[in-house]
Amino acid sequence: MVERTEKLTGFLADKLPKILLLMGTLSLAFCAVSYGANPRQVLFSYMTAFIFFLALTLGSLFFILIHFLTRAGWSVILRRIAETLMNNIGLMAILFLPIAFFGMHELYHWTHAEAINDVILQKKAGYLNIKFFFVRAVIFFGIWFWLARVFYNNSVAQDATGDHSHTLKLQKYATFGVILFALTLTFSVIDWVMSMTPHWYSTMFGVYYFAISTVLSLCVITILAMTLRRAGFLKNEITVEHYHDMGKLVYGFNIFWTYIAFSQYFLIWYANIPEETIWFREHFMGSWNAVAVFLVLGHFVVPFLGFMSRHVKRNLIAHFVVVCWMVFITIVDLYWIIMPNFSPEGIEISLLDFAAFMGIGGLYFGLYFLRLRKHALFPKKDPRLEESLHFHNV
Amino acid sequence: MRKKHSFGVVCEFQSAAILMKAATGLRDAGFTKFETYSPFPVHGMDDAMGLKHSKLGWIVLCGGITGLSGALLLQWWTSAVDYKLTISGKPFFSYQAFVPVSFECMVLFSAFCAVFGMLALNGLPKLYHPVFKYSRYHNATSHTFLISIDKNDPLYKEQETALLLQQLGGENLEVVED
Repeated sequence: MVERTEKLTGFLADKLPKILLLMGTLSLAFCAVSYGANPRQVLFSYMTAFIFFLALTLGSLFFILIHFLTRAGWSVILRRIAETLMNNIGLMAILFLPIAFFGMHELYHWTHAEAINDVILQKKAGYLNIKFFFVRAVIFFGIWFWLARVFYNNSVAQDATGDHSHTLKLQKYATFGVILFALTLTFSVIDWVMSMTPHWYSTMFGVYYFAISTVLSLCVITILAMTLRRAGFLKNEITVEHYHDMGKLVYGFNIFWTYIAFSQYFLIWYANIPEETIWFREHFMGSWNAVAVFLVLGHFVVPFLGFMSRHVKRNLIAHFVVVCWMVFITIVDLYWIIMPNFSPEGIEISLLDFAAFMGIGGLYFGLYFLRLRKHALFPKKDPRLEESLHFHNV
Repeated sequence: MRKKHSFGVVCEFQSAAILMKAATGLRDAGFTKFETYSPFPVHGMDDAMGLKHSKLGWIVLCGGITGLSGALLLQWWTSAVDYKLTISGKPFFSYQAFVPVSFECMVLFSAFCAVFGMLALNGLPKLYHPVFKYSRYHNATSHTFLISIDKNDPLYKEQETALLLQQLGGENLEVVED
C-alpha cells in the first residue's frame, strides 16, 4: 500500500485562505460603500455574482447526488473536492440576506406599489408576493443546507470508521434528494432571476439554469483538482483518466446547455407571441445582441469543435484552458441573462461587477480552502476508492 | 471453392491475468496477427495486445458532417429556392426552423455510421470462423481464455510459436486447420 498525502498543507491551506478572505472582505466593503451612491448597480452586480456562485454550489450538490444515485466508482477520488464546494451552501444563504433586506425594490419591480394596477401581476400576486417569496427562500435554503450537511457529514464520518453503512444511507438519500434538488433549483431560479421580468415566463428557464450550474461545477472541480495537482497533492491519484471523464461530462452537459438554450429560443421564435418574445427583444437590444452572438460562438461552437477530441481532453494543459474558458463564458451567460434588466440599452461593464465577483468569490474560496484542509482530500475509506484509483478509460 | 489453408495455432489459458501477461508477451515479441478470446471484457486488453485506436470516431464524424450539410442543403433548396412558401411571415431561409431537422439528420447519420461502421470494422456478421474448430472452443464462452495466432503473421513458425505460447502459460495447444 502506497502512503498518500491525505491532508492539505502549505500555501493552499495556510496563506491562500487568508488572502482570499481579505480580498473578499475588502471587495464587499467596496460594494457596501458604493451602495449609497449607486444602489441599483451594486445590487445587480451583486446578484449576478450571487447567482454565479449559487450555480457552482448547486451544481456540486448535483454532482454528489448523481454520484451516489448511480453508485459511481470512478469519481470517488474527486468527491471531497465537490463535497466541499457543495458545503458552501450555508455561506450562500448568508450572502442572500443583503438581497432580501436591501435588494427587493431595485431588483424586482413586482414589489412596487404600482404593481397593484398591473393586470398580469394582479393575477400572479397569489404566488409572487414578498411574504411567500421569503417563505420559499427559507424552504429552498433549508432543503439545500440539510442535503449538503447529510452528504458531507456522512462522508467525513466514514473517513474515521470506514463503515459501509454511510455509503448505503447516502445512496438511499440520493433518490429523493435528486427530486428535491430538481424542484428547488427550478423554483428558486424562477423566483430570483425569472421574476426580474415578471410578465415573462419560460418553462425551460429552470433547466437552463441547471445546465449552467452543472457545466460550471464540473469545470471548477476540474480546475481545483488541477490546482491541487500543481501544488503536489493527489498527483498519482487523480490521473489523466479521471480528467478525461470529467472532460466528457463537461462536453456532454455543454451540448445539453446548447440544446436547452436553443429550445427556449426556438419555441419562442416560432410561436412569436408578444409576451414571450419580449424577453429576447430585450436581450437582443443594442450591444446585448453582440453578447448573444458571442455566447453562441463561445459557449457552443468553439468548445464543441475544440473539446471534441480525446487528445484535447487527455492533454491537461489544453483541458485546463478549455475549462477556464467555460467558466468565463458561464459568467458572460449569466451576465447576459441578468444585466439587461439593469442597462437595457446595451452592455455597461462597471468596476462593481468585478468587485462583486471578487467579493463573493474571495469569501467563497477562502472558506472553501479552510474547510478543505480540515479533512482528508479524498474519502479515504470509501468502499469504492480502490475502483476509482484504478479507473481506466476503455 | 475457397482454398483450404491452415489457420494457425490456438491454445487455452486458465485466467484473465495469465491471458493479459501472454498477450503482452506476444506483443513484445512482435506478433501482430493474434487474437484473444474471453467470456467477458478484460480491461486493459487493448493496450496489452498493442491495438491501435479505432478509426470509428472518424467515420462517425464524416457521417455527422454529411447528415448536417445534407439536411441543410435540402431544406434550403426546397424552402428558399424550388418551392417558396411563406410560413407565418418568416423569411424563406429561416435557419432557426432548420436546426431541429439538421440536428436530427446529423444524429441519425452519425448513429448509422457508428453502428454499421462498427460492424464493418469488426468484420461482422461472421457466421463462421476457423477458431470454432478448436476442440475446447466452447470453454472460452464460459470459463477459459484463448489466444490464436494466425499463420500469416510474419513471425509465425509453427514449432517456435507453439513453444512460446506454452512458455507464456498456454495449455492444450492445437494447430487448427481451416
